[in-house]
Order: sequence, then C-alpha cells, then structure tokens
Amino acid sequence: MEQVLRRNPALRGWLLVLPAAVFLIIFFMIPLLIVFVYSFLERGTYGGVIWQFTLENLARTFDPLYFSTFLRSVYIAILTTLISLLLGYPLAYFITTRPAHQRNLYVLALMIPFWTNFLIRTYAWLTLLRTHTGLINVSLTSLGIIEKPLPLFGNDFAIVLGLVYGWLPVMVLPIYAALERLDKSLIEAAQDLYASGAQVFRRVIWPLSLPGVVAGSMLVFIPSLGAFVTPAILGGGKSLMIGNIISNQFLAAHDWPFGSALSMLMMIVMLLATLIYFRWALREGVQP
Amino acid sequence: MANAFAVELRNVVKRFGDVTAVNNVSLQIRQGEFFSLLGPSGCGKTTTLRMIAGFEMPTSGEIYIDGEPLGYMPPNKRPVNTVFQHYALFPHMTVEQNVGFGLEMQGVDKAEIRRRVGEALEMVKLSGMEKRRPKQLSGGQQQRVALARALVNRPKVLLLDEPLGALDLKLRKAMQMELKALQEEVGITFIYVTHDQEEALTMSDRIAVMDEGVVHQVDEPENIYERPADRFVADFIGETNFIPARVVQLGPPVVVEIAGRVRVPAAWAEQGLSEGDQALLSIRPEKINLYEERELGEAGPTTARVEGRIQQMVYVGTDTRHTVRLADGSVLVARLQNIHTEEEPWTVGERTIVEWDAAHARVLRV
Repeated sequence: MEQVLRRNPALRGWLLVLPAAVFLIIFFMIPLLIVFVYSFLERGTYGGVIWQFTLENLARTFDPLYFSTFLRSVYIAILTTLISLLLGYPLAYFITTRPAHQRNLYVLALMIPFWTNFLIRTYAWLTLLRTHTGLINVSLTSLGIIEKPLPLFGNDFAIVLGLVYGWLPVMVLPIYAALERLDKSLIEAAQDLYASGAQVFRRVIWPLSLPGVVAGSMLVFIPSLGAFVTPAILGGGKSLMIGNIISNQFLAAHDWPFGSALSMLMMIVMLLATLIYFRWALREGVQP
Repeated sequence: MANAFAVELRNVVKRFGDVTAVNNVSLQIRQGEFFSLLGPSGCGKTTTLRMIAGFEMPTSGEIYIDGEPLGYMPPNKRPVNTVFQHYALFPHMTVEQNVGFGLEMQGVDKAEIRRRVGEALEMVKLSGMEKRRPKQLSGGQQQRVALARALVNRPKVLLLDEPLGALDLKLRKAMQMELKALQEEVGITFIYVTHDQEEALTMSDRIAVMDEGVVHQVDEPENIYERPADRFVADFIGETNFIPARVVQLGPPVVVEIAGRVRVPAAWAEQGLSEGDQALLSIRPEKINLYEERELGEAGPTTARVEGRIQQMVYVGTDTRHTVRLADGSVLVARLQNIHTEEEPWTVGERTIVEWDAAHARVLRV
C-alpha cells in the first residue's frame, strides 16, 4: 500500500480530499439534491411531500406577491454590499498603513463582534432603533433635537443597517489581505510615472485589490440575500425578505415544495450574480 | 541655458526618528553623467536616491534639478524617472501598457504613445513582447521593461536603484555593458545606486562613496581606486594593506616610519594629520613586489623597502597571495602575478625584501 502511494502522488492527493469529499457529498450535495427534487413535487398536508411531479411550485415563485419580495431582497442585498464596500475598503486600507504589530490588533478588533451570537447582537440594535422606546429616538426627543421619532425601525433602513453591521468584517478581511499583499513599490512606480493620487488608486491599487473586493462582496451579498434573522427582528414583521418567506413556508405554512422552489430560485440568482461579478472583475484585468 | 549640473544636493539631511540616514550630503552631478552612489547597505545611498525621486523629503537641505529647487514637489511632478530594485512592473498590465503608463499619465495621445513605446521596446531589444505580462518574462527581460518604462518618458535624470541586483552574475555583467552603452546613446544623466564596487567602477563616469549617511569621496573610478581619500574608501574599494605607521614628515615628500624604525616615502597624506601622529600606510597588494636581497636594484628616491618573512602563500589562479610578516609583527599581503613560471617560488619562513613605489602609498588617518 505504502509503495503504491509513493509511486502515485496523484493518488495521494485524492486520498487527502477523500474525508472532506465524503462529508460534503453526504451533508451538502444530498440535501441540496433533496431540495431540488422537492421543488418539483406536490405538498403534503402537514409538511412533507406527495410524490407527484408538478411545475406549479416553480411557476408560483413568479407570482408578484413573492417575486416582488424577491426583487426587494436582491435590492437590499446589493445595497448592503455596496455600503459595506464603501465603508470597508477605506477601513481595510487604513489597517494596511498601520505598523505591522498594530495591524493584527485591528484585525482582532474586527472579529470581536463574532464572539457574541448574531441574534443577540441584532436584538441589541433593536433596543437602539425602536421607534418609541429605542435609545436613539428617546434621547433625541428628550433633548428636544427632534419632535417626532425618526423612522429608524421596521423598514429597509433598519434591515440594511443590521446587515451592514453584521457582515462588514467579512468585507474588510479579504480586501485587507489583498491590499497587504500589494507591493508598495508599485504605488511609488505609478507616482514616479506621473500618476496623481486618484490615478494611482484607479490604475494600480484598485485593480490589484479587486480579488479581495470580489471575495468580500460575495461574502456579504450571499448571506444578505438569504438573511432572515435581521429582517425578522429589525424589519418589525412588516419589512420582510425572501429568507423569511422561505422559512415561513417550511415552518408555518408546511409547504415544503414551494419553500424548496423559492430556495432554488435564490440559489440560481446567487450563482448568476457570482458569475456576472467574476466576469466583470476579470475584464478589469485582475489576474489572481 | 542649461545648468551645468543636472542634479545638485546642498547640505541634504534625512532623519528617520533618531536615525540619521543621510547626513549633510552635498553632490553636484553633471549633465549626461553616469554617476554612481556606492556604499554598503544602510549607508544612505538609496535614501539619497529616494529624495531625488521625491519619495522621501529631506529633513533639511535642498535638491536642485537643472538649477531649480525641488522643495516639496511630489514625485509625479518631478522630471525624473526611476528603475526600481525589483522592477516594480505593474503585474496586471501588459509590457506595452507598462511602458506606455507614464506617457498616458502625461496625456500624450494614443498614436504617439504607441510609436514611442515601440521605439523604447526596440531600444531594449524587446520588440514582439508587447502583449506579454511581466510574469511571463525572465528576470533580464523584466529589467529591460523597467528600463524602457522609465526611458520612454525622456526624463532629465534617470534614477536606478540597484537595478541589476536580482540578476545572476553572467547576465549582470552583460547588462552592465548594455546599460552603459544605452546611457551613452540616449545621453540622459544616470544616477546609479549600487553596493557592488566592481559594477560602479566599470560603469560610472564618477562615483560617490558613502557610508553611514556621509559622502567620503566623489571622484572618477580610477581615482577612487588608486587614490582613496580615507580609510573607509581604501578599505571598501578593492583590497588594501593598512600598515601601522607614524608620520615623520608631512613633506613633501611625505615620510612615515613603519615596522619599528624603517622610514619609507609616501605619495600623499590625509588632511588633519600632524608629524608624530599614528597613521595607516595604505598600499594595494598588487603594487607590492618581493625580492631576495641579491636581486635588489638601485633604490630611487621614491622606492620603499622593508624587510619581512613569508608567512603564507595562497594560490588564487591569476596570482598568488603572499602574506609577509614585518619586524614589528604587522602583516601585509602582496599579490604576485603567476607569470614567471621558471622562477623559484618563495617558501614559508623565508626572508624577503618588500618593495613598492611611493606613488602608490597613501598615509591615512587611523
């Protein structure tokens, strides 16, 4: 056996991925396949499915009632990604300009929020944002700065705020990694070749940090599109996203096939978004 | 009217915190000159270059290009271009885009950029490589792209920061010759930073030897080697003997006492020495001859002779290094060329007369 492996480096490689591959096939591929199959079946009365082929679930996903929520979710996810990028890029850049020993501290500080459960952190935002009893509106009204409470809660604003808060660190980390790898003499070379500050950024720093931007944006966009805790709590039950509808289909409406169909649609959109985004990044001239 | 000096530094100081990287450096670099800054790592040569480029601003002092003070002018406004140590080619751009970058930033129109990029690539013998990425090129080719990228802008001064350091020896030698030829062809002032003395000696019109932020000597290669201004230069450039000496007479002629009581003449004594001072007599190993007593000819007024014993002989191909011990225990090395094959070689412990001409001997401060 040992000799066979020694003579076969390729086989050795396959042996190494085997545990992970088995794990992923059993716990990821098979459930995914089940979701795929379920989306073509009829619903059972108390959950579950009846083994009867139908396209009706998929057709229903385009019902304006659900599809509008779906589009709004895409909009919220894009908005969240853009705001995270706008906030995260300068932050990542700032960290790379610090002395080496300070950089790790900043990265650690970014990770600290993850030590607390996401649900609890989202409830913490609730106490800040609530319309009449939230800390922000109470202090502002009692100080006489505003007369009526600001609409901070139960709307898209609250959801985007909660999502940006939740996912900003995963935007910053890959951008930071890309910027840190960037050879600083390239910046000097561009300056030396008559580039202004804006041109140095546009032509050298930005394109070379794009792999980080792409990775960070994906890491923010995907969970934002599927979010359901944040809209459930900060959306105040009024402002919902596709994730809430899917969880409702499984938990409340007991319509597993329709929930599966919505999940499939979401996955297709994520896949398309990823493809489009990567193609754009490649055109910008990123070669990882 | 063009100023006589392409670049001039007046009392330039650069401090990083408590560290003085460049300490009161003044240099005058002539138009069209191949000028080298030579010194060991950390001597301030790269910092000096970076101040001319504008990446660092002097703590005090002023830098002039064509007689114009640069002040705090940022690098993108300076009429100089740099060839970086590790080339710093833009990895996401093709060779063509790299070379055209400077022209594009200056707003030169597209057709003109294409023409000049083509010319520049032809000059560095890289025609046909336009569409390649830096990663697809060898080290030597990347080096040429870096050179073309800088020269295409026709800068007043080209700054080169150890540009050949990453190349292997053979390629480096070839590139040295090519660079020198290129510089003569384009007629642009080159300021070349290197720690490689041979490189500096081969390529430069003039060399500034630096150490610990201070310029020790600015001179032509031959003078740097034959007439070092102080102990550091004599020691850093090539190999030399430092024989402990006492100044007897500052002359002319200069006379010192070595190996106890032997008086020998020397060509020159460093400023600041007085009669009676302890000093060092510097003499290059290849300027020394060894004789047996019976072989000695007539001694002229500039002949220096001292007695010693052969301590060691090491054959190094073109010559043999003879280590000779003098009466007071001091040691000197003579490199004798291996041409007289019929001659009887020396043996260890044998008595010998060491002889040199005073023209090659310099008295330096300890």
